[in-house]
Amino acid sequence: MMTTGITAEDLAHISRSSEDIRAELGVDPVSVRAISDPAIYELEREKIFRKTWLKVATSWELPNVGDYKVKELPVADASVLIVRGKDGQIRAFHNVCTHRGNKVVPTTGFETFGRSRANVVTCRFHGWVFSTDGPLRSVPMKEKFGKLDTACLGLREIHCDIWEGFVFINFDAEPAQSLTEYLGDFGKLFGGYPYAESTTAFRYSTVLNCNWKVAHYAFSEGYHVPTIHAGSLPGFKGVDHTDFKLMGPHASSTIYGAGMDTAPSTLAFASMLSTTERHRPRPDQLPPAINPERRADFQFELPNLFPNFIIHLASGCGYPGMSFFTHQFWPLDHGRTLWEGINYFRPAQTAAEQVAQQHVNALHRNAWLEDTATMEDTFTGIMSGSIDEMQLMDQEFLIRHAARTLDTFLAA
Amino acid sequence: MTHPILPAPFADLAPLAAHWARPSENERSEIRWSASPAEFKALYEAMMPRLDDILRLLSDHPASGMPEEVHDLFLLACAFAEASPHHELYGGSSAVPYSFDARRFVRTDGDAAL
Ligand code: FES
Ligand SMILES: [Fe+2]
Repeated sequence: MMTTGITAEDLAHISRSSEDIRAELGVDPVSVRAISDPAIYELEREKIFRKTWLKVATSWELPNVGDYKVKELPVADASVLIVRGKDGQIRAFHNVCTHRGNKVVPTTGFETFGRSRANVVTCRFHGWVFSTDGPLRSVPMKEKFGKLDTACLGLREIHCDIWEGFVFINFDAEPAQSLTEYLGDFGKLFGGYPYAESTTAFRYSTVLNCNWKVAHYAFSEGYHVPTIHAGSLPGFKGVDHTDFKLMGPHASSTIYGAGMDTAPSTLAFASMLSTTERHRPRPDQLPPAINPERRADFQFELPNLFPNFIIHLASGCGYPGMSFFTHQFWPLDHGRTLWEGINYFRPAQTAAEQVAQQHVNALHRNAWLEDTATMEDTFTGIMSGSIDEMQLMDQEFLIRHAARTLDTFLAA
Repeated sequence: MTHPILPAPFADLAPLAAHWARPSENERSEIRWSASPAEFKALYEAMMPRLDDILRLLSDHPASGMPEEVHDLFLLACAFAEASPHHELYGGSSAVPYSFDARRFVRTDGDAAL
């Protein structure tokens, strides 16, 4: 299963103790100015969201030739068409017609899915036709243009690359690093897990009236679990948030825990999943440097893939049957954020497994409702100007690290 | 749904299925959001003692393409799967305590009917 050939020893240099973290990242409170100041948001757009690699899709969302997804990304003033071409390759383009700028694929909401059976997309304004691999294929009344260099009027391509089935784009005309270079040790730490097998996705989104980092940071620590999740995770025993790792702009950590007082219905549903080969806990499938001792109380990995993506790799060990779940935080403007949360399972074989997944998904969705409850209040509190800084404990180091990484990018 | 069809051993659950069983998560959520503690309790007390039997029956059928005679039972089980925490964990409240407004959470994958 582990095809990367990476061992835990190969990644020994990324691991950090709490003492290391304190020494390396400091212990001082961290300014909230990057959250409160709209001018910083403008800098983030230019120096982070237009420069770094951003996850926008998964390859298994677009399984067939002609499958596409359009993602609206106001942070980059962009509508992005991600499409699998006739040659099977996934590419990304600005969803902008080279005739006069109309959207080629009309959209509804922040994400629009579709399929072009003929491997073309046609702008509805005047009928220009583009191949799904980019070139302009036909123009109605072409002879009526005094000048038209059709060879140069293909869809405007955006740098696009794939890691483990996650599709990333980079808006920079010439990205400073390849995706592999940008991911660095993160790609090695998380590589090798069969992500693409978990094609069953429960997807949620909401627009939050807060800066994107408030939402991101709320999902970046285990400190809140016993309090915020007292309702949906009652009696959660011994959350152990540890195994800290730093990897350039990215970081990670592990949540271990003795589990919770499982309710009777959850026990019955969980047994539908834990007894099957496809859905049972698979600590053996974890990449070697994640839970290297293969502790039985492993729940999930909690990373930050800078700037705005989290892959919680669980391998069925935390929430029953859950393979992994992801969060993404897209700024809409300084004080508004699109949050996207997705629970991934391997496909249910039986109707009973499907019901059980529905239950696990509902429990997790409800925990997310508890998480998101804090975000708008936190932002309002910060915007009041009454606190200048955040106090951060050891288990909030992902926040400390992300804030520092942000400063580094903004200063560049 | 008006006239649910349930396998014989579960025929007595028809009134509950008529109230709770719906093919999409959004529709089931609408029903759950308006449920009272007594309604959650009634659903729980009817379903929980038979959950193992229901799941055993549903284990014999594929997730996609299950026969029509088990489909309404499946949808009732889905509604119970989403409703049971409200009785077990949230004291009968139709909202998760101290939570974000669930109506603002959008199921973004088209909420395909089951
Ligand atoms: S703007 Fe697209 S065809 Fe004219
Ligand atoms: Fe949480």
